[in-house]
Amino acid sequence: MAKLSLMFENKLMKEVPIGSRPVTIGRSPDNDLPVDNLAVSNHHARVYFEGGRLVVEDLDSLNGTFVNDLRVERATLHDGDSIWIGKHHIKVDATADTALPFDSGRKTVAPKINETMVLDTKVRRDMLQQAAAMGERSQFSPTRVKMPTLVILHGKVDQKEYVLTNKLTVIGSSPMATIRLRGWFKPKVAAQINQRDDGYYLGTGSKIPLVNGAPIQGPVRLNDGDLIEVSGIRMNFVFRE
Amino acid sequence: MQIVSGGVTDVGRVRTNNEDSFRVLENLNLFILSDGMGGEAHGEVASSMAVETIAKYCTEKDESTDETGVTLTGTEADHWTPETKRLRNAVFQANFNIYQSAQKHPEQRGMGATLTSGWINGSKLSIAHVGDSRAYLLRTGSLQQLTNDHSLVAEQVRRGILTPQQAEESEMQSVLLRALGAHPEVDVDVEEVDLMPRDVLLFCSDGLTRMVTEPEIAGCLQAETVPMAAAQKLVDLANERGGLDNVTVIVARVEDESKGWFSWLRRDSGKKA
Repeated sequence: MAKLSLMFENKLMKEVPIGSRPVTIGRSPDNDLPVDNLAVSNHHARVYFEGGRLVVEDLDSLNGTFVNDLRVERATLHDGDSIWIGKHHIKVDATADTALPFDSGRKTVAPKINETMVLDTKVRRDMLQQAAAMGERSQFSPTRVKMPTLVILHGKVDQKEYVLTNKLTVIGSSPMATIRLRGWFKPKVAAQINQRDDGYYLGTGSKIPLVNGAPIQGPVRLNDGDLIEVSGIRMNFVFRE
Repeated sequence: MQIVSGGVTDVGRVRTNNEDSFRVLENLNLFILSDGMGGEAHGEVASSMAVETIAKYCTEKDESTDETGVTLTGTEADHWTPETKRLRNAVFQANFNIYQSAQKHPEQRGMGATLTSGWINGSKLSIAHVGDSRAYLLRTGSLQQLTNDHSLVAEQVRRGILTPQQAEESEMQSVLLRALGAHPEVDVDVEEVDLMPRDVLLFCSDGLTRMVTEPEIAGCLQAETVPMAAAQKLVDLANERGGLDNVTVIVARVEDESKGWFSWLRRDSGKKA
């Protein structure tokens, strides 16, 4: 859940979650985040979700609202931003600013949550659009198509680069392997890569691969730029535009 | 390839009816699993209709016969095997049959089913899939998911909006974006995988994956090499954890082809004895 943390000189004063209702900030004690300082107006600013984005709005305060040193009337907030009001600042944690906008929709689309149901076309479209708006900045958003690629740095294989297009990619000497190892005594399946919902996972074969120098314990999600070493092959996992 | 398989279904510990259906056609190496939805007993109607239609289509259907009234959506890839294409068409047919039945019988409105099926021909596994049942492959100790869930939360994970952990805790888990019977046309995910000796395939309904973690599933499949016994163990485990939903598990194991370099010696000696 997204939250705001009111700080004064690096000391945490108060923390509030951001729900469907706006979070109000000001000197008056009826605010969600009361800031006891004469430089702060009674009702100074508020923070709320709008179309899947987190927004801060200055309520015509005398001394202004600043987001990362910039005075704003209204601004979209990102994870890690700081809102400055007088000598106080408010840290924005929007890492999970996601499930919330669905709160309002939940009642209408899922009357019985334990029953499996299929969304009809319109509700589905709306929900996906909402989801798309929220996902714009993310790595897996459809607006930035990036191809997962293995770039071979060292070792005997049949290509220099492999774009991962299948659910399952085998690295080994097997004729079914995508990344075909050459040479004597190479294992049929040295390692394998599985495309899953949240990314690409490297799993063991009959060898235990190293990722960035460390042997993997179980399937690990690969990050852009990871160095993989297995069975005498050294390669980079990268997302190519 | 020599395949050994087994399947188990169970109502679970909470529900009173089992809406899951499955079929294992050992002679064809065809595995079909479906999880039905819809009020009253209609989830069962939908899932058994899905399973029966596909079994029938793959066993009997003459490839030259044209399907009537079934719209084929999406593009067929040229490199697919005839069995892959046929399995996909069977799923189209199943979708259409369920949809049509629901149109004809107003009390069945809203019924639907997931469908996850695998067909092994030679070393090629064809997968056709709609919904949130799953197919897994256990190879050299690594459990790999061969299907994508067509659920709202999985789509949100793919778009980077939810983490897999958040998706597991979400109350929206039961919301599907695709299922058989909801519309006259359906998108079917198709996958081809080359199998190797000692591979283990798992088909399961969400009653398993919501109760038992993947490392536990992998451990169970490695510990119990008899497919039927492994399937029963996984069902028992889901029930021990609460058995909140119907649970269905099919396990298929690819047997070792050769018994080693000297297998001909053994066969010879067998003849003499």
